[in-house]
Amino acid sequence: MYKYNFVYELKVLVRNGWIQLLSLLLLGLFCFAAFNGSEKVEKRKLDIQAAKTEVRESDHDMLMLLDSVEQGMEVSASRWTIPTSPTAVGNYHPRVADMSPKPLAFIAMGQSDLFTHYVKPTMTGDDFTLNFTEITNPVQQLFGSFDLSFVIVYLLPLIIIAFSYNVLSAERESGSLKLLASQPISLRNWVLQKISLRFFWVALLTIVILTLVMMFFGTNTNLKDWFSILGITIAYMLFWFTMAFLVNLQTGSSSKNAIILLGLWVVFVLLVPSVLNQLGSTLYPMPSRTLMINEMRNLKAQTVKRQDEILDNFLRDHPEYAINDPNQNRKFYHRYVAAQKLVKEELKPIINKFEQQLQKQQAWISQLRWISPAIVTQQSLSTNAGTSTADYENYRGQVIQFAEAWRTHLVPFLYNNQSFTSKDYDHLPVFTYQPLKSNDSSLSWLVLLVISIVLGATSIGLSSKSKSSSTLAT
Amino acid sequence: MIRNTFRKEVKEIIRDGRIKIAFGIVFLLLAIATWISGKQYRSVNEQHAEAKAAERLIWDNQGEKNPHSAAHYGTYAFKPKYPLSLIDQGVDKYAGSSIFLEAHKRNEAQFSKAADQTGLARFGDLTPDFVLLFIIPLLIVLLGYNAFTKEREMGTLLLLKSQGITIWKLIFGKWLALFTPIFIVTLATFVGAGAILSNLNDFGVFKWEHLGVLCLVYLCYYIIFINLVLLISSRAKKSGVALVLSLSIWIVACLAIPKAASNIAEGKHPYPTRQEFAANILMDKKEGLDGHDPWNKQAKLLEQDVMNEYGVDSLHQLPFNFDAYRMQKGEEHNAEVYFKHYNYLKIQFESQSKVYRSLATLSPFLPTRFLSMAVAKTDYSTHWDFADTAEKYRIEVQAFLNNDFAENSTYGDWSYKTGETTWKQLPTFQYAPLKLNEILWRNSSNIASIAFWLLASFGFLFITIKKF
Repeated sequence: MYKYNFVYELKVLVRNGWIQLLSLLLLGLFCFAAFNGSEKVEKRKLDIQAAKTEVRESDHDMLMLLDSVEQGMEVSASRWTIPTSPTAVGNYHPRVADMSPKPLAFIAMGQSDLFTHYVKPTMTGDDFTLNFTEITNPVQQLFGSFDLSFVIVYLLPLIIIAFSYNVLSAERESGSLKLLASQPISLRNWVLQKISLRFFWVALLTIVILTLVMMFFGTNTNLKDWFSILGITIAYMLFWFTMAFLVNLQTGSSSKNAIILLGLWVVFVLLVPSVLNQLGSTLYPMPSRTLMINEMRNLKAQTVKRQDEILDNFLRDHPEYAINDPNQNRKFYHRYVAAQKLVKEELKPIINKFEQQLQKQQAWISQLRWISPAIVTQQSLSTNAGTSTADYENYRGQVIQFAEAWRTHLVPFLYNNQSFTSKDYDHLPVFTYQPLKSNDSSLSWLVLLVISIVLGATSIGLSSKSKSSSTLAT
Repeated sequence: MIRNTFRKEVKEIIRDGRIKIAFGIVFLLLAIATWISGKQYRSVNEQHAEAKAAERLIWDNQGEKNPHSAAHYGTYAFKPKYPLSLIDQGVDKYAGSSIFLEAHKRNEAQFSKAADQTGLARFGDLTPDFVLLFIIPLLIVLLGYNAFTKEREMGTLLLLKSQGITIWKLIFGKWLALFTPIFIVTLATFVGAGAILSNLNDFGVFKWEHLGVLCLVYLCYYIIFINLVLLISSRAKKSGVALVLSLSIWIVACLAIPKAASNIAEGKHPYPTRQEFAANILMDKKEGLDGHDPWNKQAKLLEQDVMNEYGVDSLHQLPFNFDAYRMQKGEEHNAEVYFKHYNYLKIQFESQSKVYRSLATLSPFLPTRFLSMAVAKTDYSTHWDFADTAEKYRIEVQAFLNNDFAENSTYGDWSYKTGETTWKQLPTFQYAPLKLNEILWRNSSNIASIAFWLLASFGFLFITIKKF
């Protein structure tokens, strides 16, 4: 009977064009999405490349200028841009601090349309006003991107629902259920077989298409990446098939089943995420950025008035610079750098508050993400793609550290009144981005898999208790 | 006949438990969303007023300094939040809300709310526009997918026909039965929002007619969906098929096409990256006059020109401070450079908008979304408008400060300082958004798209009636 059932189902699925339609639909959606994703990644790489080339060229000019100055030649550049001055190097020849994409970046757009992928922190720039957002048409951000993550999280469940909402009810509506009931197979097993076969086909097609897409669009993707993406996708699909199985067992009418499944989709994919997000930002509200600006301005105004005093204090703290301070030789940047340091320290608690609140929200959501498998899947995909909130936070942190390193490298030149020379060029700090190491994603797909299996198993257990009645009721 | 059909359908809706639950959920969602948005609106407005007042105080009390130092110290322009953002938040979350106005530089709006949120926010916020744009069309699908298929399945269609029913009356009755509950929900939401808004103390800019237009836009959007759902139901053989088809339309129109459109628009007409944009501007700036650099080639030319014009042979003999004059000229050059580059952005933005407009024929969601944001003054055009006004103000501020410097000091006198009396003379930043009729005029293509959808869907429904 099991064998007959499988063969029969397969024939039906092929003959009514189900499998052909599914393959075409999945292939089309996955390819379009992957193409969109890889286009953005390509642009991101090119932008970073262009920025680096530009810096290389400007470095070449800088070295030429330095060489001329060192040989005592007259140069035609503006006085304050001549790179013998450490502030000129620090401000006009910044390094590129770039966040190059992970191999899987094309899978999920994540937060990458919000943030820039390279900045050039300068010596006298303020870390807290370093702008990490990107200029784009906000309409694009509002609508979001048609990427693989969207196809998997939003559309796959709908496809699953469309192809499995009437497994049992269609039999009843066409009258063949009575025939079936006369066969020596329990209804539950029969539905399970039908659903499993469908799951098998969708999973197989998804695996094949995803593998093709990753081979074609991904560069340097390894087996581990492949495995984690497939793992989470299959687990998520299994969850939706389990839902379809549960709803089908209730033996309602076809449209009733469809409405219930659709309701579940709306709840898990649309409502739970937005409610959780709303709750998160209500529980851990972000302080006001506009009021932060006021505070920053007040502090700056105060420090400007006390610049000389601040510099005196600064030199008292840094006696190594004081030796070289013939009081009359104080220039704008001596005062500026000292004042900037003070502003930065005083503003730190306010700035940290933003980061802390964001982290708290993140932690809170991490705990509650299990309420909706859609959240688990979305987070896991964007973590694998390296485009999650945490990734950008990590990048921001590294850039700010680098900005500090850049500054501390050049400040001694300033206070020692020492010229920057071509020999010093080789010792300039260089930024290298360290991506987050995450092993969280491998865990989440396992947990999701277990949840789906347990859900399915309990429903089988429950229905087997009322087995006799359910067979009779049909 | 119309009345009888209507009464029968409404009775069925009222008796159906699932529909009651669905309506309950939608009402609850709308109420929560409106309440949350109302709270946010109030607090953002308070912060805005506070920040604006504080910023002016900071400016007035910045102490004695050279006008050019004051120009570098700069000031901020804060973007106001408009009452109808309570209904549609639009792109407000993604566009920054404050612009720093300083010497030599045009800055972008900073600190978008989305950048301060977690990745979960990208699923969407629980706001009234989310319910109005996504959930209510879904409700229409659930209410209407079996309007005709159920008659077919139960065999009552034959009975109806044998009674000599006029088909259009039957369809119109069903249409009314579907439209009335949606109309009530929509109206209740807008009246509720209007009540909240007019009870706020500082609702100065809120006008009921704006809210009315917005309500009308959404009603048109729902009518299009009702027509489409009824059309499918009258053609489909089984309820299940009708449901899946209607749902596919919902998915394609509300989810897939907007996202695909965003990819197409961005891919076809991309913006430069922030750094690229800045680098291009810097390059153009270098070509021209640098107000700070007397050794600059253009500066030397300017010197000669001015001396010739006044018939003097030294800059000291000029009746004004040439340093300040040169800075003002440099500022004007910079302003031109910025104008050119921002204009390029604007051209890209216009081309992207064209992509969206052309795709509006595929999805009624797109014109509705754009029109709704425009009326609520939360669209990207309003943001541009605000940014342009801020830039104009910035140029005025620079001219004001440089003129003060030029008139009250002599060449080479960088020690000149001025104080509070001067700062207070600076006019405040004022931004008046576009009037409603201007907004509608600008969005005439979106209105045309919606009208096209309305006519086309009614037309198709009419054609099916004949074949029924």
